[in-house]
Amino acid sequence: MKRNYDGCAICNSTWGNVWAEIGEERLFFCCDLCVVQYRELWERVNREVGWDRVDSIDIAGDRRGRTCEVASGDRRARFVFAFNSVGKLLRFQRAELPSSAGG
Amino acid sequence: MTKCPACLIGFARGDYSTLAQHLTERAGESDPDHVRWLNQNLTRRKTEAGALTPALVAFFDLGQASLSTWVKKRFIAKFFGKAPHPFVVALQHPTRATLLGYVFEHQYFLRQWVRSCGFILARTDRPEVVHYELDNLNTEYGGSGPDRPSHYELLLRMGESLGVDRSTVLSTPPLPTTQRAIEQWNEMATREHWVAVLTAMHSLELIANRNLVDEGASIRYFDPGILSGSEITPAAQGFLREGYEADVGHSDEALALANRYAGEHDVVEEAQAVFLRSIDLFDDYLIARLERASEFEA
Repeated sequence: MKRNYDGCAICNSTWGNVWAEIGEERLFFCCDLCVVQYRELWERVNREVGWDRVDSIDIAGDRRGRTCEVASGDRRARFVFAFNSVGKLLRFQRAELPSSAGG
Repeated sequence: MTKCPACLIGFARGDYSTLAQHLTERAGESDPDHVRWLNQNLTRRKTEAGALTPALVAFFDLGQASLSTWVKKRFIAKFFGKAPHPFVVALQHPTRATLLGYVFEHQYFLRQWVRSCGFILARTDRPEVVHYELDNLNTEYGGSGPDRPSHYELLLRMGESLGVDRSTVLSTPPLPTTQRAIEQWNEMATREHWVAVLTAMHSLELIANRNLVDEGASIRYFDPGILSGSEITPAAQGFLREGYEADVGHSDEALALANRYAGEHDVVEEAQAVFLRSIDLFDDYLIARLERASEFEA
């Protein structure tokens, strides 16, 4: 799957050394908290979109609030989210796609 | 003594090289508190200890500024920067749920507050610090007779005005995040120098210091317009007004004491590190208020 981060799958940090298999991918994380966060996000996004596969995931923002844009073929969806301090989703909402991203 | 801002382990005074080594080692082991501190304060990119050292020196350097100026700058950046803390955003025009989240979690913060300040009282030999703490404890917890109820009492009255009786509030345990924060504040109070504890705890009262907008804060703790009109209950106005009026003095006076005694006791580095740990706990604790608030959202 394509992703915009080269570091930790949730925050892009390159500190730490945690690996976890999520969504049939072995992913790098900076700490266990980010593993919990990504697992939460991944499950929630898949539940929301209901696609049989996700081709790409782009994450932006910081701990105060992030956006996540996922794509599968020509389908796209965007969400805004934030976590609590133990890694559970505190906020999760579908957001409008930027006009350039198409339908 | 230099201290790690993530775990408060101590090193020789000014030894930022060993601190950098410690941070990179603990981050290399993926410890969340150390990774978080590095991510949020220095860099998200894995860096060798040697290259991290000058960044740490620069971060902790007071330059020509006082300890209180450095503390305020860091506090504003964390809670009132370009992206203010989400609880502060929610409190600008708070819903009933936001205020109830405040009530349920803050009772535990205030109970710990008394203990933390109690440790400062027990350890200082300075009468002006004793007077300051006694006055603060009366305002926050003890009260001064029926005409001047404590902040704690006003908090419970705010809950009642929102339809939740105090027995329900008092019998509800804290969320795990709040519990962790108060345990760590307690540990901090028992172990650290009283000047460092004074700096770390009373700097938290900056959150309601309305004058921070003159020093770079992007917004205030809440929109002062809610103190009049009918947007929130009179009891909620009473609670928020108390902090709004008291915390300018509380925080400024405490930071003036910190300036004076951190230098006198040669504990500036301790005060900086303990303050940094305290604001990370406070950040989490404010999120816990939102987490509790989500239980009351329709």
